[in-house]
Amino acid sequence: MAPNVSYHCPCLSDSTVPPPPHHLSSSSSFHPLHELFFCEECDAIRCNTCVSVEVSGYYCPNCLFEVPSASVRAEKNRRVLPYLCARNCFLCPCCRNTLSVVPSDPPETDDGRTLPVSAVGEPPFFLYCNYCRWDSAEVDITFEKPTGLAGTCTAQLQKFEDSAPDSLEFERLKEHFEPFLLRAGATSSLNPTTSAHSHHHVNPVTAAASSALARDIPGVAKYTPAQSTSGRRSKGARDEMPEYKARVDASSSKGAGLGGEPDVEFMRRLETVSEVASLEQRWSSSWAVSLRLSDIKPLRMPLHSRKSKRCPSCRHILIKPEQKAQSVRYKIKLVAANYIPAITVSMPAVAERRATLNGQATASAAEASLIQAGRSYPFHLALTNPLYDPVQVRLQVQRQLPAGAPRGADDEGTEKARRPPFAVTLPNTAFPIAAFAEAWEYEDDEDMLDDDEFGPERGAREKDARKNKTVGVLERRANVTIVGGEVLIGKDARGELKFNMLVSYTYRSDDPLAEDDVKATPSRRNVPEMKTFSFCTIVSLGTIVPREESRSVNVDL
Amino acid sequence: MDPPIYYSTAEFIETDTGNKVSRRANISGPQNIILGGKTIIASGAIIRGDLKRAGPGHSVVISLGRYCLVSEGCIVRPPYKTYRGTFNYYPVKIGDHVHIGANTVVEAATIGNYVEIGKNCVIGKFTIIKDCARVADGTVVPPNTVVPALSSFAGSPGRFVGDLPESTQEVVEARTKQHYGRFQPMER
Repeated sequence: MAPNVSYHCPCLSDSTVPPPPHHLSSSSSFHPLHELFFCEECDAIRCNTCVSVEVSGYYCPNCLFEVPSASVRAEKNRRVLPYLCARNCFLCPCCRNTLSVVPSDPPETDDGRTLPVSAVGEPPFFLYCNYCRWDSAEVDITFEKPTGLAGTCTAQLQKFEDSAPDSLEFERLKEHFEPFLLRAGATSSLNPTTSAHSHHHVNPVTAAASSALARDIPGVAKYTPAQSTSGRRSKGARDEMPEYKARVDASSSKGAGLGGEPDVEFMRRLETVSEVASLEQRWSSSWAVSLRLSDIKPLRMPLHSRKSKRCPSCRHILIKPEQKAQSVRYKIKLVAANYIPAITVSMPAVAERRATLNGQATASAAEASLIQAGRSYPFHLALTNPLYDPVQVRLQVQRQLPAGAPRGADDEGTEKARRPPFAVTLPNTAFPIAAFAEAWEYEDDEDMLDDDEFGPERGAREKDARKNKTVGVLERRANVTIVGGEVLIGKDARGELKFNMLVSYTYRSDDPLAEDDVKATPSRRNVPEMKTFSFCTIVSLGTIVPREESRSVNVDL
Repeated sequence: MDPPIYYSTAEFIETDTGNKVSRRANISGPQNIILGGKTIIASGAIIRGDLKRAGPGHSVVISLGRYCLVSEGCIVRPPYKTYRGTFNYYPVKIGDHVHIGANTVVEAATIGNYVEIGKNCVIGKFTIIKDCARVADGTVVPPNTVVPALSSFAGSPGRFVGDLPESTQEVVEARTKQHYGRFQPMER
């Protein structure tokens, strides 16, 4: 893996000290810089785990139609399913690809030529999957017109749904209980005190339900205390409830997919597994679906949402998308990359070696042997300043454990083993990074910069610099400063070479200090206000290869 | 920070606008192809500008924006269909900062800006890929698919797998510019 730097968001724990780098759980506390947000009010880094998310709009991912939130809400109240595209978008029930509307084959004339038909094609139209060749004619869904399918198809789907045994059974149940519920509502509103004072949560409906349960299933009665205490009171209710007669007997169920005889019969006659619809193809429906692949219906396209994000503590908006769904611009976008320096890490020795290895077209196995135990490697950190003011940066290796951490006697041994088998040296003085200039200032001399960066003379210059020193500021150009560090790897080290690094930067603050702050430090009143912001990062340099292995690989080379 | 990628000056032609086109790329109908500038066409790429709409004269068949990359072995081919009984090719439009990985076949109608397409993909006919989308390595995007902005697609058939971060545009822009900067002639 290429060397990289991730940034810490402290939202997962109370302490500001990030978890040790070798903990597996530490990966969830560190994020790439471009995924992080920055709250100006709290002066803190925020990540996708901690921000609160709100839906700011819905759109169909296929036709990209923006569905107004109001209509989504309205559909929720009707019987129509919300969050589904109400236009011509359907998904293939087999592979979830988008279905397209295709006309039937045009009629052929005697000489084998096809007659020119209308512009849109010959009806009936049907839905067709370009990927797995499923088509809706298989399940008897066809259309007279190629437009306005949602209405027609939804109606057809609705018809199937309505005629499904489960749906009919549910309707019947509702019908059965409706008068009883009405009556129960009337009695409880007549004397609300009894139900309010009742110790158990018993209203006539639950009482009736539990009594029905006790009646129908032997032995349940003794497990329901509500039954024993309120039995007398609900006696009337029990008598009032007529016995429910199911529409179809479960054992003789005629519908497929209900686990009845027809399903058994179907499974018995099965020739290939592909005739059975997989669980994934069936479980998006809220009612039981036929087991047969040949019976499953097209799915409507679920909507996607655009989200706005807020800071969890001060509720300020960090991300607010533009009104247009497919726009990649944002009305508000407070991303961390605009506030804190971007850090990239590279290991010149390893990169050079990798380049030569690539040149020789050697196996990728050799790539793993690039960092060997028992040696020291220089590495470069390039820090880019996104601010319009110059900053002073200080880097610090963060130790694995705070000094005062409690430590048991047993832990001594394991602690020693856990101590990193490498030592990292970083420049210990603060160094400056120049201010970020407007993009157009760079645009003019872009080519010059490119040449400067990659031309032959630069390589030489860099080599000289490296000869002189490995640790310290190596290069400064525009708003980038490259500093060198060094890692000394122990003789029997192995595993991932990564460490936590604390970065503090000091910049001139534009906004005046808070009132009480000024009072507390009156001497600072005339001095330009300096602010310091610190954040933690994890620097991952690669995997250490133990000595023996590396030697054998070297022989291969 | 990344080391330069060297190419031999004998292999590549550099245009006034900074396009770098390999002599080993197979470019048909160059009069129908537009490159926006600073776009790299690697060796072995096949770009079919000759498959144009029926009728005389020039028409733009394939247009690529700035800072694009068509990697080794890529095929960019205009999509076709029979509409009202006549067979026709339709133009391909590719935006700025679009990287297409090695050995990918592209028959899309439109690819937006800041799009990353992995290697060994098949982008089906008349696919529309919106801005800042990403298609993972080895994805098969079926014909007529729409890939929404800031979404990540993977699998076969290619499906939506997740949203991309809000700063994708900046990240991709920086990466494509950096890639162009790294792509340097080998000094002799």
